[in-house]
Amino acid sequence: MADNVEAIQKSIKWYLIIGGILILASGATVWLSFVELPTHSLNILVGMILATIKATLVALIFMHLNHERSLIYKILLFTVVLAVVLFALFIFSHEDPLVFPGFYAPVEQQ
Amino acid sequence: MDIPYTVHARPDTGLYNAKIGIWLFLASEVMLFGGLFSAYIFLRVGADYPWPVHDLDVTLGFINTVVLIASSVTVVMAWAMLKLRKFAWYRINMAITVICAGVFMFNKSLEYKAKFSHYAVKLTDGTMLTGHLPNGYHVKFDGVKELSITIAGGNKAVDADPVDVVLPAIEGDVPKFKFPSGTEQELNAATFGELQKATRKAAYEAYQAKRDGMIADAEKVLAAATTPHAIYEAEKRLAIARNYNVIPDTKITLVAASPIKFAANTSDIFGYTDTTLTFCDGTIVTGKLTDDKMTLQVDGVDARGVAQSEKSLAFDHRYLGDAWQKAFVENRDHHIATFEHDYPTRDKTRSATLQKDSLFFKIHTSTPPAEGKAHGDKHGAEAHAPAENHGSGHDYPTVVLEKKDFTFFSNFTPKLNTYYAIYFTLTGLHGLHVVAGALVLLYFLAFDGKRLRQDPEHLANRVEVGGLFWHFVDLVWIFLFPLLYLL
Repeated sequence: MADNVEAIQKSIKWYLIIGGILILASGATVWLSFVELPTHSLNILVGMILATIKATLVALIFMHLNHERSLIYKILLFTVVLAVVLFALFIFSHEDPLVFPGFYAPVEQQ
Repeated sequence: MDIPYTVHARPDTGLYNAKIGIWLFLASEVMLFGGLFSAYIFLRVGADYPWPVHDLDVTLGFINTVVLIASSVTVVMAWAMLKLRKFAWYRINMAITVICAGVFMFNKSLEYKAKFSHYAVKLTDGTMLTGHLPNGYHVKFDGVKELSITIAGGNKAVDADPVDVVLPAIEGDVPKFKFPSGTEQELNAATFGELQKATRKAAYEAYQAKRDGMIADAEKVLAAATTPHAIYEAEKRLAIARNYNVIPDTKITLVAASPIKFAANTSDIFGYTDTTLTFCDGTIVTGKLTDDKMTLQVDGVDARGVAQSEKSLAFDHRYLGDAWQKAFVENRDHHIATFEHDYPTRDKTRSATLQKDSLFFKIHTSTPPAEGKAHGDKHGAEAHAPAENHGSGHDYPTVVLEKKDFTFFSNFTPKLNTYYAIYFTLTGLHGLHVVAGALVLLYFLAFDGKRLRQDPEHLANRVEVGGLFWHFVDLVWIFLFPLLYLL
């Protein structure tokens, strides 16, 4: 990790650059949210991709995850997997047989 | 006892202990916020109303984003300065970080405050009116002569509390009341307390007498029982009698010395009819309903829930009327025409932005705009609502809504819809993290001077751990800002 004097002095410049990039990316997120993309889902997708890039920069540079001990990565691996499962949970609501399209459609439409 | 491995790394992990501790904590925090983001997805997918987009104050949200990013830079700079033993710069960076936290929370308080004084009223045809209630909303009753109070026996969720619930709703002087004892006296905490105590005592004595009677009866039946079945039934009856624990409620009527007028806040009542008003403590008063109209200063007409938007009830002659209807139609058609020009191949009905711009009409003047001027406004009504009394220099038309024309109203709080529920949950929890993180960093800055002088490496590790938490707070906001304010 960056705990020797030279490495820290070098990284100070990067902290400022990343801070600037994050602010610019936030401005871009705001601007893109007002752009009428073909569907609103696409706006959401673009916004989330930008947010993920920003979050990755914070984690890698500010939280020093670009040069951390392996134990930290092991802890985070579990976290990431479980968090992804949480976000994917809503997919099951689409698999609910009670709202399966053919289940309640009028006879003439089937 | 010294805590081990606060400065140097543990040989087996290669890390000082606090660092593993904070990462494990952050892992649990990811799951906490992950669960709430998952709830956000569920609520958004299942919402049966147009999900608010750009409704919050984007400028304020963006300022807060910049403030948090700046504080993330300064906190990591503070750590770096400490490692380089530049103590003055360490202090400056830490101070800026804490100030940024204060600015963030100040902005958040402005944002929250506006929501508590801004209302949405749902009309029976699905139109949503937004605006302010200059006088609040009260249900008025006249000619009330009696309060029917129910004093609960035992512990119940609803119990009589007329002093705190009913008396504040009385308009004018509070008269004396004739109590069940026959005396005429003031109703206050002391007199009602005595009445409540005496009533409960009588109710308990009645309960005990009933229980004793039931036991005596059951014992007689048991003594007379001869067959096994009769004995079984009698023992069952005795057990029921011994376990009898229903202390009865007592209804009491307090007769007013003179007729009372009520103006009850709707949050203090269960419901009302033309002749009765039921308060949330169970007290019922009988009289005559004189007024349940709502005076609303309208700053927005959201007709997205109406099949023919120009025929919205909001434009009825009793309310906004024809002139505002004309302005609404002009604004709507302008946005639709612009969209058709800019995106000729796209489906108009599938653009959430167009639906909002064309059908959610924002009002900033008390009189309708001149012809040709009622378009081009993309300001979100909720976002631009000032905190109180429209102190922004804007003026608004006032309508007096009849109760039969609206089905629901709420300020912009969790009660309004699931969007505001998850908005307050997520930003509230995030705000608490900002406060907690800022307090920890402030502690390092203000009270860790001795460690700074004697063991700066230890303090650097502490600041790194506090900083990791602070970056996590920033990281959560990076997702919250677009999801709640922009998309």
